[in-house]
Amino acid sequence: MIDWTILTDNWELYLEGIRNTVLASLLALVGSFVLGIVIAVFRIAPIRILNVIGAAYVEFFRNIPLLLVVYLFFLGLPVLGLVFNGFISGTLGLMIYTSSYIAEAIRAGIQAVPIGQKEAARASGLTYIQAMRHVVLPQALKIVIPPICNQFLNLVKNSSILGVVAGMDLMYFGDIVNADTYDTVSSYAFVSLFYLVLTIPLSLASRSLERRLARSG
Amino acid sequence: MITFRGVHKYFGTFHVLKDIHLQIESGEVVVVVGPSGSGKSTMLRCINRLETITEGTLTVNGYDLTAKSTDINLVRRDIGMVFQHFNLYPHMKVIDNITLAPIHALGVPAKEAKETAMLYLEKVGIPEKADRYPSELSGGQQQRVAIARGLALKPKIMLFDEPTSALDPEMIGEVLDVMKTLAREGMTMVVVTHEMGFAKEVADRVAFMDEGRIVEQAEPRQFFEQPAAERAQLFLSRLLRH
Repeated sequence: MIDWTILTDNWELYLEGIRNTVLASLLALVGSFVLGIVIAVFRIAPIRILNVIGAAYVEFFRNIPLLLVVYLFFLGLPVLGLVFNGFISGTLGLMIYTSSYIAEAIRAGIQAVPIGQKEAARASGLTYIQAMRHVVLPQALKIVIPPICNQFLNLVKNSSILGVVAGMDLMYFGDIVNADTYDTVSSYAFVSLFYLVLTIPLSLASRSLERRLARSG
Repeated sequence: MITFRGVHKYFGTFHVLKDIHLQIESGEVVVVVGPSGSGKSTMLRCINRLETITEGTLTVNGYDLTAKSTDINLVRRDIGMVFQHFNLYPHMKVIDNITLAPIHALGVPAKEAKETAMLYLEKVGIPEKADRYPSELSGGQQQRVAIARGLALKPKIMLFDEPTSALDPEMIGEVLDVMKTLAREGMTMVVVTHEMGFAKEVADRVAFMDEGRIVEQAEPRQFFEQPAAERAQLFLSRLLRH
């Protein structure tokens, strides 16, 4: 049922796809994490206008399909004269979309840190930013690591959206192999296999990280 | 050093502090007592502006806490605070709990901050716990670390918000002993507590609060033996019966 020659004949295409999927995932992962922290801080900072911006951002990007977020960059921005290729549009869309989920996870984590922690830090003369940086965020991150790892796993899988906008990722080359060989089952079986090769170590790593964090109290 | 003049505070429509007048001089130990919900902790928390006042004036170390131009972080550097639930930073070792504010708020070099922290850990009697995490310490030890953390700012004032209320009875003594030492060394202290023994022994003055007002202020001997206010008499008689 699985034709292994599909793999041996097309391994260069698959490899190129894996390379770009990993690259897009890493870029979107780092970007969405940083952006997620910023938006989360917007949502809880004691400044009303930032709260509104943060809430609007999260509600907008979390409540439209990922495909439309990617289209926003791939088809929407060219209207304004900003043209990005499929890889960049896809990666940006993925980053923005994921950041709204990460922001929510981090906000929940920050709010789960007892209020006394912030009070103790502020009472000792630390500024709001210092109190967040040294006292609240490190504790919040510990709380949000499980949900964030989950989001990162989703991110790797969601990166297949790049295939729709010719983003040169694993899914895109899977489509090409399928179109060349007409062996749909084999073509996509190998695509699945390669996603698993990427996601299972990530999944195991996140579980061991969780265990380690649980131990350190 | 601390002056409340006609201070009122509301939480929404709830009138928590009513016309508070209180003057605390340098080196004084003032113990605030009263029933739960009488506004003791809220009043204490106004001193370092963890709570803002709604009306009146409050000056601390010469700073007007109601003025917009006052940099509250400057005021707070001179005030150490000890909380009921310790509020140690669980992700940091004891030593790092103590050096955090000196390094980042005061700009003390890390090495010097660490040496100072060790001095205060010795003072509270647990230098051997420097490299432990708070969760590895007993409640009494944690509260002593919290006191050392407050002292590491080299503050002019120390605030204590029910420092022994969350402790097992056998650990209360070790925390009170540290506080007594501080009081004898001349630290300006404002202490909210239910420990009447502590108030009798070290307070220069007792302030009795009820329903948001300071009903009576007196020297401890006079307060405990002949309280003037009827509400204070009732409060004390109930304590004695238990």
